[in-house]
Amino acid sequence: MPEYKAPLRDIKFVMDEVLDMPGHYASLSAYADVATPDMIDAIIGEGAKFCENVIAPLNRTGDIEGCTRHEDGSVTTPTGFKEAYKQFVEGGWPSMAHDEEVGGQGLPESLGTVMSEMVGTANWSWGMYPGLSHGAMNTISSWGTQEQKDTYLTKLVSGEWTGTMCLTEPHCGSDLGILKTKAEPNADGSYAISGTKIFISAGEHDMADNIVHIVLARLPGAPEGTKGISLFIVPKFNVAEDGSVADRNAVVCGSIEHKMGIHGNSTCVMNFDGAKGFLIGPENKGLNCMFTFMNTARIGTALQGVTSCEGSFQGALAYAKDRLAMRSLTGPKAPEKPADPIIVHPDVRKMLLTQKAFAEAGRALVYMTALQNDIVHKGDSEEDRKAADELLGLLTPIAKAFLTEAGVEATNLGVQVFGGHGFIAEWGMEQLVRDAKISTIYEGTTGIQALDLLGRKVLMTQGQSLKNFTKMIHKFCQAEEGNEELAPFVSQLVELNKEWGDLTMKVGMSAMKNRDEVGSASVDYLMYSGYVTLAYLWAKMAKAAQDALAAGTTEEDFYKAKLTTARFYFTRILPRTKSHAATMLAGADTLMDLDEEHFAF
Amino acid sequence: MPEYKAPLRDMRFLLNDVFDAPKLWAEMPRLAEAVDPETADAILEEAGKIAGNVLAPLNREADEQGSKWSDGEVTSPDGFKEAYQTYADGGWGGLGGNPEFGGMGMPKMLVGQVEEMVQGSNMSFGLAPMLTAGAALALNAHGSQELKDKYLPNMYSGQWAGAMDLTEPHAGTDLGIIRTKAEPQADGSYAVSGTKIFITWGEHDMAENIIHLVLAKLPDAPAGPKGISLFLVPKFLVNEDGSLGERNQFSCGSIEHKMGIKASATCVMNYDGAKGWLVGEVNKGLNAMFTMMNYERVAVGIQGIGAAENSYQNAVLYANDRIQSRAPTGPVAKDKAADPIIVHPDVRRMLLTMRALTEGGRAFSTYASKWLDIAKFSDNEDDVKHAEAMVALLTPVVKSFLTDTALESAVAGQQIFGGHGFIREWGQEQHVRDIRITQIYEGTNGIQSLDLIGRKIAANGGAFFKIYVEEINQFIAAQEGKDNMVEFITPLKAAVANLVDLTEWVMEKAQSNPNEIGASSVEYLQVFGYTSMAYMFALSAIPALEKADAEPFYANKLATARFFTKRLLPRYISLSEAVKGGADCLYELEAEQF
Repeated sequence: MPEYKAPLRDIKFVMDEVLDMPGHYASLSAYADVATPDMIDAIIGEGAKFCENVIAPLNRTGDIEGCTRHEDGSVTTPTGFKEAYKQFVEGGWPSMAHDEEVGGQGLPESLGTVMSEMVGTANWSWGMYPGLSHGAMNTISSWGTQEQKDTYLTKLVSGEWTGTMCLTEPHCGSDLGILKTKAEPNADGSYAISGTKIFISAGEHDMADNIVHIVLARLPGAPEGTKGISLFIVPKFNVAEDGSVADRNAVVCGSIEHKMGIHGNSTCVMNFDGAKGFLIGPENKGLNCMFTFMNTARIGTALQGVTSCEGSFQGALAYAKDRLAMRSLTGPKAPEKPADPIIVHPDVRKMLLTQKAFAEAGRALVYMTALQNDIVHKGDSEEDRKAADELLGLLTPIAKAFLTEAGVEATNLGVQVFGGHGFIAEWGMEQLVRDAKISTIYEGTTGIQALDLLGRKVLMTQGQSLKNFTKMIHKFCQAEEGNEELAPFVSQLVELNKEWGDLTMKVGMSAMKNRDEVGSASVDYLMYSGYVTLAYLWAKMAKAAQDALAAGTTEEDFYKAKLTTARFYFTRILPRTKSHAATMLAGADTLMDLDEEHFAF
Repeated sequence: MPEYKAPLRDMRFLLNDVFDAPKLWAEMPRLAEAVDPETADAILEEAGKIAGNVLAPLNREADEQGSKWSDGEVTSPDGFKEAYQTYADGGWGGLGGNPEFGGMGMPKMLVGQVEEMVQGSNMSFGLAPMLTAGAALALNAHGSQELKDKYLPNMYSGQWAGAMDLTEPHAGTDLGIIRTKAEPQADGSYAVSGTKIFITWGEHDMAENIIHLVLAKLPDAPAGPKGISLFLVPKFLVNEDGSLGERNQFSCGSIEHKMGIKASATCVMNYDGAKGWLVGEVNKGLNAMFTMMNYERVAVGIQGIGAAENSYQNAVLYANDRIQSRAPTGPVAKDKAADPIIVHPDVRRMLLTMRALTEGGRAFSTYASKWLDIAKFSDNEDDVKHAEAMVALLTPVVKSFLTDTALESAVAGQQIFGGHGFIREWGQEQHVRDIRITQIYEGTNGIQSLDLIGRKIAANGGAFFKIYVEEINQFIAAQEGKDNMVEFITPLKAAVANLVDLTEWVMEKAQSNPNEIGASSVEYLQVFGYTSMAYMFALSAIPALEKADAEPFYANKLATARFFTKRLLPRYISLSEAVKGGADCLYELEAEQF
């Protein structure tokens, strides 16, 4: 089992030296006084200890044990999960990045993202229990009445209760417009919710006193399709006047799924049988309400891509230094041993560097996205908030889909570095592949994210939201003109930045003639966008490293490694843009010509 | 519950329309005796039935159940024992075996198709006959007459199974450092002692005896790969009259908990002075293994496409059945709440990627099998030499490229199912877990790529490579004038020119820095693979164009070939550029600086 060590130096590098998060916090009046550098250091240091010592050791055992559903619908989580959660709540972690008026500590959400990264790498399945509360909290804080906030939000913020999002039904996932769960009005103003929801992560468990479900359902007579969906709060236990937990509501877990991975998390079929629920937000506007924080939620899943890369990299690196096989092609490196450690072999290095390059730039991308989210919520001017929202909208599908695909690639490389042992459960590397695979599926599949990026975010704004970002890249390149060491990076980036715009134009033009062209190009377009975005971030990281070296440092190796990894990324990974550029323009005919009856006989 | 239908139509297309196997067989006397088109057809038909009706239905449940170890004994999942019996009774175990010892002497071109069906319907099960066939192959090539007489007939009949024991806890890729010992005994046998791991079906309850081929070192053997010998070590000793005697001194210490192929027992085997007999010459054990390895490695590539085909079939069913959102160009299934997801371009992209990689892979493995057959059955020395060169060159590509593309296919097959793809009941995630091992065993894909560029290309100054390129160039020259082939020939020509250029680049760079080989090898192999697939689709396009109106199959083949050419072939551009990025960027970091 790979041992988890929080990559604090790398985290601080991105926070302080690449993205200037201290400056960012100081510039927001909501955070200027609370999110001081000392405070941040202390929090991250404590968080790292909790992740390394408390939840990382439960990752492998959680996978083996899985969750158990009992006759009465209750679910037991793997050994140690409940106790770890208790410690998490006692440590005040759930409330960290929430407003003080609902019991939070008023720290920035982006700081919560940093903590979530460490939690997620240490034990993704465990992290999903507190993680899923975010959707419920976002819903209630955006759309809830004061009473709903008082009743539910404070308990969710404190972590005493957890939350879920109940969207998917057996017949609908990507297409929520056809969902069937019903909400009938009761005389007392509440609603009776009936229907079946599936794939409800953390839908039932034994870690908290109550579970607050946010359920998508239809009112009687609601319009068909996406415009007839409303949101409801449905607690597992009804809540008494005084806020205490009362009788059991009519919602039970009918079964839990047998899955490829994330075994430690309970993925539930939830049966609502006239369960008491409360409307939240306007009638029939449920999906719109959800969209307001969809980006925020997806940052959390994008993070899973980073954690997959980081966790697998840590495991593979330790093994590559330890495992002996064959001699280096340039002569023995460990002559005293029967063979050299496999890290001497070029292909092993290539696999490790690929993982490392994705993990580090992926972290920078998620943190950068999280900063935009801070500004959307706490920005001091409307202008700032709007600009941040636009950038957040553009970066979110890229971060979510690209980084989770990278996570799948990186975890598979981790298995490959281990050879046959990678396939064996005890080593923990194959679990990372199994856990990572869900990230390209849930919270909108890669295909759905790609349509969101190309269709909604880029083409629907006539390319404006992309232009805002490419302008940022352009400015960076301009500023580094004449910087000789960075020239190989900057010159490539300038070209790609221009090509990105050109490709967008071409795809846009062909999409006007044939609407299938969007879906035909979308995934290649998204992957292309991801590689360019990571190139920008690697160039930025190289710049930060160059500055630090120029200023003089005792950490030369650390900064030189950043420059080396940047070179690796630009030389060996970035060429992938070429084939994505070619295939996104291949045309929809290549996909639509084959009759659907003829795919198989 | 997933189903499996053997892709017989495509197999027949390859054998008859593309590679004209019947003609080839008729030309080689030893094959002409064994097989004709009718026999081949009947074999495919029957194999399809076994795969679809007997093996496929066991696949899902066996994954849940797994093999069980208790006190040295291994119980295979429900139904495996009976299926194994059915398989043996059908004579399938001897399909490619030497007729002198009861085998049927069938060509690999045909055996490979049968393997695809067996592996594609149930990979865990398929490993048992695959390992038996591999052991029989090595024994047939290197064993003494006595050993062959004693063991081969029962291995071909399926009464006994086989296993290959190479890996040890500290030595997998690097077999030169193995520690298992073989002490010569007075009676000419050897006492074998040591621990072997990752022994597929090393112990089970499906056959009455298991014949292990074990790599071990004699007491005075030189260090490294040149001090390894091969031994035959049966689970039960065999009496003079052929009946089973006492249990030999070795046992299965445990079985692994794995990501996939859970139904197959992956065994730790402990040898404690077990009685064994030398196979082949002393200290030539690795060489003896290499004979078998070309076949085994092609078989592993075939495993990949088999399972990917299975995943594809399920994905097509699901994509036609699952309704979700409307087509971008307007509703297609107006009577339903939404359109079947096969209307969406990106779903089609995933399906066609699977389809093209699988069909292209099937063509490529069949093509490689053709060379295996010529090398084995031709009486013309020049042809044999030529074929041996092609086998050597293509084998690592078949193994590696087809398993890499198989994983990509299976992941796409899972993605098409959305959340349901992650749920075990649907069967799609199992293919991903099962296929994942094919990139690792029989030499990891990294090792295969070193074999390709190092041993098969650089070591002979590109001689084998030139033979292959010449063949493709001749094909291009012959087709270039044909209007309807332009769309395939032009991209193929560019891809081949790129491959030649890249090969020269790597060979030149490697002269000054040996690390350039390993730095480029994996991507290089993929460029080789995509280029080869382009050749396969161009070959397939000829009969498909001729018969395009005869049956939708041919028009579909062309659509798939076009998809491949426009949407997958361009990958070589990125891969080649990455290769030319060179080795330096891999070596600037010290090990401690990672």
